[in-house]
Amino acid sequence: MKIKQSLSLSGAVGVALLSGATALQANEGLVRLSQDDSNWVMPTKDYSATHYSKLDQINTANVKNLKVAWSFSTGVLHGHEGGPLVVNDIMYINTPFPNTVYALDLDDPNKVLWEYKPKQSPAARAVACCDVVNRGVAYAPAEAGKPAKIFLGQLDGNLVALDAKSGEEVWKMEVCDIRVGATITQAPFVVKDKVLVGCSGAELGVRGYVSAFNIHDGKMEWRAYATGPDEDILLSEKFNEQTPQYGRFGLGLKTWEGDAWKIGGGTNWGWYAYDPKLDRIYYGSGNPAPWNETMRPGDNKWTMTIWSRDPDTGEAYFGYQKTPHDEWDYAGVNWMALTEQRVNGKKVPLLTHPDRNGIIYSLNRDTGELVRADKLDDTVNWVKYVDLKTGQPVRDPEYSTRMDHQAKNICPSAMGYHNQGVDSYDPEKGLFFLGLNHICMDWEPFMLPYRAGQFFVGATLNMYPGPKGVMGFVRAYDAKTGEYKWTVPEKFSVWGGTLATKGDLVFYGTLDGWIKALDSRSGDELWKFKLPSGVIGHPVTYEHNGKQYLAIYYGVGGWPGVGLVFDLKDPSAGLGAVGAFKELAHYTKMGGGVMVFALDET
Amino acid sequence: MKMTSTLLAVVLATAAGSAMAYSGTNCKEPGVCWEPKPGYPEKVAGTRYDPKHDPAELSKQSKSIEAMNQRNKQRWQHLKKTGKFVYDVDEIGG
Repeated sequence: MKIKQSLSLSGAVGVALLSGATALQANEGLVRLSQDDSNWVMPTKDYSATHYSKLDQINTANVKNLKVAWSFSTGVLHGHEGGPLVVNDIMYINTPFPNTVYALDLDDPNKVLWEYKPKQSPAARAVACCDVVNRGVAYAPAEAGKPAKIFLGQLDGNLVALDAKSGEEVWKMEVCDIRVGATITQAPFVVKDKVLVGCSGAELGVRGYVSAFNIHDGKMEWRAYATGPDEDILLSEKFNEQTPQYGRFGLGLKTWEGDAWKIGGGTNWGWYAYDPKLDRIYYGSGNPAPWNETMRPGDNKWTMTIWSRDPDTGEAYFGYQKTPHDEWDYAGVNWMALTEQRVNGKKVPLLTHPDRNGIIYSLNRDTGELVRADKLDDTVNWVKYVDLKTGQPVRDPEYSTRMDHQAKNICPSAMGYHNQGVDSYDPEKGLFFLGLNHICMDWEPFMLPYRAGQFFVGATLNMYPGPKGVMGFVRAYDAKTGEYKWTVPEKFSVWGGTLATKGDLVFYGTLDGWIKALDSRSGDELWKFKLPSGVIGHPVTYEHNGKQYLAIYYGVGGWPGVGLVFDLKDPSAGLGAVGAFKELAHYTKMGGGVMVFALDET
Repeated sequence: MKMTSTLLAVVLATAAGSAMAYSGTNCKEPGVCWEPKPGYPEKVAGTRYDPKHDPAELSKQSKSIEAMNQRNKQRWQHLKKTGKFVYDVDEIGG
């Protein structure tokens, strides 16, 4: 069912302006749109993934007057990850399976401008490891007579391009095959005239790849795998030339026994960043398969790797493997933030990345050199420290996992001390605001065969709150010094990420259903509001007709919500999450929608 | 903490001449730093931890990807030629 309506005046003007600038590459158009704080054009807000807004109409002095301006139910339950996009006075909303997309005209958000409701095989649900979430849509501006587009990754593995004005399907391609356990939960990412997307499915032995498609006709331009022969991984001749200690050629085969790399995981389903000056994209590949480490001897390259690639060819300039031979499912797909920092008196283009493994990495994003690797919390125990010279984590064998052994009290758990949330960076304060988990685990592997399309995990887990007695924190981190300026404890994991603003505020949603605002200088809580359901996505802010708005999805789910979503009781079910989050159902139930806030003018 | 194959563990550890556990710091070459844990094999093939993967199963993903690529190629070429997008490749072929 499609609802058509002509564009609002302001929207039409925006589109007309963009169409006029026909020579603009899509990325330049996106850069320009992302710098205009009335928009929120990509899930990461901008190519640097700062999640920082210069809007300060809502600030520490008046945030207590925030009120609900309007709301919208998506009509779908299950976990609502990501956040809405706002471009030229239209809000685009994504949902979990069946991945409906709604466009709302901000001049009249009570009426649906258009909707796109994919018809998908319900079998896709059965191969999703961790609820049927979707991390958002991407946008490409109009150019050279080609319409502006919205890109959607569907759980069933299709990537769809929609006309942003009408919701009509422009093209649709098959990227990941559910019959072999591959799905899409990632938000697509637009760079130049390409749209990138990766698959999910390492829990079903899916060998990871990222694919780039032409935004206009859907032609595949390149595909880079995480494991296997160098030509599949698309290594450039210069790969790790400046950081040879990370390893260079032949390792996608050599660090595996036999053909195990063919089902070796390394799927990327998290977030990208892009540096237009260096013309490089950045992202992380996920965990190796299976979780049973004994079945895959070797470093298992290039799973768990921070990548820097050429967006035109896909060729890799550097790859740094954070967790060689993973034993804990520390899937390395988390948020990448690009900032400029002065470290030890030298200006460095930095890439900062809080990983599942409990380490926050900062690399020189040009050379790949490791600048810092700090613990997200002092209770991280699988690793003693990361040797900055070699890049190797120094492991503590006491917290390793292996067959015929139940490992206990490993921190972090497989859910990580940081998961899929997109966090924020305030350039004026030089601080990163991190939504963290505080969960540890017991882990015992078991042998199992690989059958394409079936789960290929091979470990039994018990998870529980970490030593500090809560399950989450929000923390302000300084990458120049490695210090934490302040820490705020949370009852549950802070799963959905944060938003920072020039109004000295940090916003975030909680699993138990609050949206909160902290003073970003001190961490003091200044405001909160109880939403209909828990939050696993991120807040966004934008301006419409001179007024600043704050929007967030509600709808609990995702990995922490699998117990209440699927009504599971066995503590080790849901890959161990059910036990850890057994109390969540006392605080929230499923839901699905958007809540939009603004200052009360009365 | 109990190892069921204690005997094997002792034998292997002795053979390796060291009971040093895997810390990730003894690299054979850059990027190749994995070592078996004390009592665990260097290669799993032929041991009790042999995954015994079926080559037919291991090749299913690449076959599926190839087939998707073929269908997608028909789709974008048709779109480029006609300006009309058709998802069902049977409709394009016919």
